[in-house]
Amino acid sequence: MDFRLTADQGDLVQAVDKLAEQFANKPTEFRGFALYGEELDKELENAQYFDIAQVPELGPLCAAMAVERLAQLPYAAETALSMLVRPQLSGDWPRPFAVVENGRPGRFVSKAATIIVIDDDDVALARPAAGDVEPVESLMAYPMGRLKSSVQRTKLPPEEATNVRKWLRVALAAEISGLLQAAVASTVDHLTQRKQFGRPLGTFQALRHRMAECAVLAGGVRWLALKAADSADAGDAALAASHAQESATRIAYDLHQMLGAMGMTLEHPLHLWTYRIKALLSELGGRGGQARAVGELCFG
Amino acid sequence: MHFAWDPEQQAFRSTVQKFLAANLPPDWESLAHGPGSESQTVFSKSFCAKLAEAGLLVPHWPKRWGGRDADPWTAFILAEEMWQAGEPRGGQYMNVNWIGPTLMRYGTEEQQARYIPPMARGETLWCQGFSEPEAGSDLASLRTRAEKDGSIYRVNGQKIWTSYAGQADTCFLLARTSVGKNGISIFLVPMDTTGIIVRDIPSIIGEGDIHEVFWDNVEVPSSALLGAEGQAWEIIRIALSLERVGIPRFALAAKMLSRCVSMLKKSGRFGHGAVEQAARARGFCEAARFYSYSIVDQRQHGIQTGPEASAARFATVMAERAVADFIVEHVPEALSGGEPMLMAHYQRAIVAGIASGAAEIQLNLIATELLRLPREPR
Repeated sequence: MDFRLTADQGDLVQAVDKLAEQFANKPTEFRGFALYGEELDKELENAQYFDIAQVPELGPLCAAMAVERLAQLPYAAETALSMLVRPQLSGDWPRPFAVVENGRPGRFVSKAATIIVIDDDDVALARPAAGDVEPVESLMAYPMGRLKSSVQRTKLPPEEATNVRKWLRVALAAEISGLLQAAVASTVDHLTQRKQFGRPLGTFQALRHRMAECAVLAGGVRWLALKAADSADAGDAALAASHAQESATRIAYDLHQMLGAMGMTLEHPLHLWTYRIKALLSELGGRGGQARAVGELCFG
Repeated sequence: MHFAWDPEQQAFRSTVQKFLAANLPPDWESLAHGPGSESQTVFSKSFCAKLAEAGLLVPHWPKRWGGRDADPWTAFILAEEMWQAGEPRGGQYMNVNWIGPTLMRYGTEEQQARYIPPMARGETLWCQGFSEPEAGSDLASLRTRAEKDGSIYRVNGQKIWTSYAGQADTCFLLARTSVGKNGISIFLVPMDTTGIIVRDIPSIIGEGDIHEVFWDNVEVPSSALLGAEGQAWEIIRIALSLERVGIPRFALAAKMLSRCVSMLKKSGRFGHGAVEQAARARGFCEAARFYSYSIVDQRQHGIQTGPEASAARFATVMAERAVADFIVEHVPEALSGGEPMLMAHYQRAIVAGIASGAAEIQLNLIATELLRLPREPR
């Protein structure tokens, strides 16, 4: 066990940081929920960042680091499935990816070249044609869409389906980790700058302690997400996703509460992260679904 | 970055586990009422002596003091295995974790020669005379006085909530030699010195754990002063940073959770509600584990640990509470004449947020030093 970054890992983190810096700020004129990062997606594609996990010196751990870093941006791009799940599939499936779970609308579905279709215990892959999908208006702060018709699917054999579920959980945990970090940082900025009763809000212990608890939870999510990406263990993946959804549920309201009315505006970017977090709370069966997996995989 | 254990680390863990299997008696779990209990203290004397003989008591100490200069990971793997076995070292874990290393850094040759070898042989138990009736989290306001009187100091005052004082041979005492935070000094005082009176405080956390200690004109030689007069604050800041992730409480919490789940599975009671709560508790245990590991990793690479240690402490509080909640809700029979280890764990879950600096102090440190929020006015 060694938590220092290797030279390759350090280079990768620096490079992703540099790329991310260009997309660090929400456009001032944007007043909405789904700020899609089309340019970000193109840049990542051009620089082959979606193939990080396949590079032996980097692997899924670096892919997870990239996912959590990019999730901290105000722009949403489909990174987690492409970087962490796609490399696990047999055959060549084009990106962007999306998940449709039991027929519900899903993130990036209207933009997806490959859809992972989950119906209860079955996992299948589909390549939708243009008319098979449509965008839907949503509060989820991702571009959401739905499958209009029953597209042709390739059902995955049980072993591959289990593996896909495992990496979907790692992807979910890594993305929530990044979103939590960005939401915490954004709220810390507000508490530092906003003054009431003649002093910054961040000097009031009632807020300091809650903020610190949120930060501890977010840090725990990060550790479990990275551990799961490195170990590729199904139990670790289930636990990482479970802890991510559990912690995110606790944090999201608290952060908005601390932002007060400022957090209700579409001008402030906090909702871009918190409403993405909310979109992820229901995925893969939500906390109940992850708990069942933890119960089976982590307790002998 | 990688999370897998190195072969040497795995081998060391296996060595410790084998030692425990060979040296814990069959009725160990019924003895294990917590590190402060009389049964555990008595047992720890013979157990720690065997650990010392096997080179497993202080492997991370320098060779000069009976160790083999093993790295921080070795020390922590050892601590994990001991704590999750119910801490058969009793209160001696404090010697190993921070009292010994603090004496090595700040003690005189005479103090080192007198106190460190018995620790390395597993023969001695210490207590820490820190908290007072009017000085808990606000430790700097402590009032116990040590007044210079020729070649001695005369100590008067009262300590409270002192762990292990009833069984301890020596006290790591904080006392005031002048005013202010920089007027606090440390004295190493044998507990059989005339004028020290110890009273057990019956507590919800089990037997022998907390005490009142009265200091009535206790004569302490100048040679008992650790470091310089007024140096206590500097010394205990370093000592407590070792202690902050010194006890791997998450390891026992995770083990007790697994035990509860096995019990429920066997009796067909691991239903939906229990599964969800078990997953939640396990998440907190593992989050605390990796927070703590990150601090050990910093030590391993010579990085001064910062506010992350407070985050590790608070994550551990969450883990202990989540497991205790699970026990009381899903395995309540264990708390009524059932499993001694589960009872002991349940009793002590409350300690994680209070001992070694209250959780609220940790949260303030996280807010100021990790999140860089502006300080609260004083």
